[in-house]
Amino acid sequence: MKDECPRGFDQRLISGYIDGELFQQDEQRVRLHLEGCSTCGKLAQELQTLREVTMATKFVVPTDDQWREAPRSAGSRLFRGLGFVLVGIWLAATLAFAGWELATGPAQPLEKLLVFGGGLGIGLLFLSVLLDRIRSARTDRYKGVER
Amino acid sequence: MGPDISPVGGVEAPAADRPHSKMDDAVAEMLVACRRTAYIAALQLLGNPDDALDLAQEATVRMLRSLPSLDPDRPWHPYLMRVVANLARDLWRRRRHRRAESLETLIEERGFDAVDPHAGPDERAHQGELRRRAAQALATLSGPHREILVLRDYQGLAYAEIAVALGIPRGTVMSRLHKARQLLREAVLHGGRTP
Repeated sequence: MKDECPRGFDQRLISGYIDGELFQQDEQRVRLHLEGCSTCGKLAQELQTLREVTMATKFVVPTDDQWREAPRSAGSRLFRGLGFVLVGIWLAATLAFAGWELATGPAQPLEKLLVFGGGLGIGLLFLSVLLDRIRSARTDRYKGVER
Repeated sequence: MGPDISPVGGVEAPAADRPHSKMDDAVAEMLVACRRTAYIAALQLLGNPDDALDLAQEATVRMLRSLPSLDPDRPWHPYLMRVVANLARDLWRRRRHRRAESLETLIEERGFDAVDPHAGPDERAHQGELRRRAAQALATLSGPHREILVLRDYQGLAYAEIAVALGIPRGTVMSRLHKARQLLREAVLHGGRTP
């Protein structure tokens, strides 16, 4: 390799030297060598320049909104919203139709009571879970962490 | 709110002497810092902002789960970097390639601090060009070389911390880092190709 030290110096120490990671004895050895070896001196200077360039590089960090939204694409969000609306309409229509059929049909009062009572209980349970979720979404400190 | 510019920074444990009522805030702050730091490291490793976002979220969740077992007296940055590096390796394995996308277009031009603040326009332009070439070349390095350069030169970890993060001896850190820098130098300053 064209950059090999003509004196066979261990060039791995040069990286440790520019990072300030060598023990005092090795550091002194590298410093003395660099003063007298143009090949290693040039290598050290170029590695130092590259190190400074990379250390000074900065990157854009997403905004808070991007953190929340980025995992889902715009198309995915649109279809998800549309899907929720359609499922909601379908569920409401189906339940209304079933309730109407049951209320006006030939079922016994006890049967109607069982179905409506059970349905009301399940509905209340769902409502309570929904309220809890809404409250925790408002107050959860870590909502930005887990999606 | 405009885009935020990265500080390459450490992740510190919340001070144990904080009042109990302030601990939740301290943990929340720490997790936000984790996410930010993990995102930058993931971006440097993977080169893809979407993958970096996913990886940063996962790394932050893992940090949150690990909170009870982490030593508050030791820096958490190396641990976080270990998590990020492992997640990046998993992703590389799943995709069966290690070639990342170039970071060139993801670098914040306006936030760049010139190497020498007193440098003239020509010198600044030269430094900008070097930075762009370095970002391009980083994407062409192998996984281990890219990892070690990111941890040392972009994330600023000490050799001992890199050894902890990657699970390798300190001597290996120095030799692998030197090899990675040689390859980067060859590509950036001499237009050479990296393997």
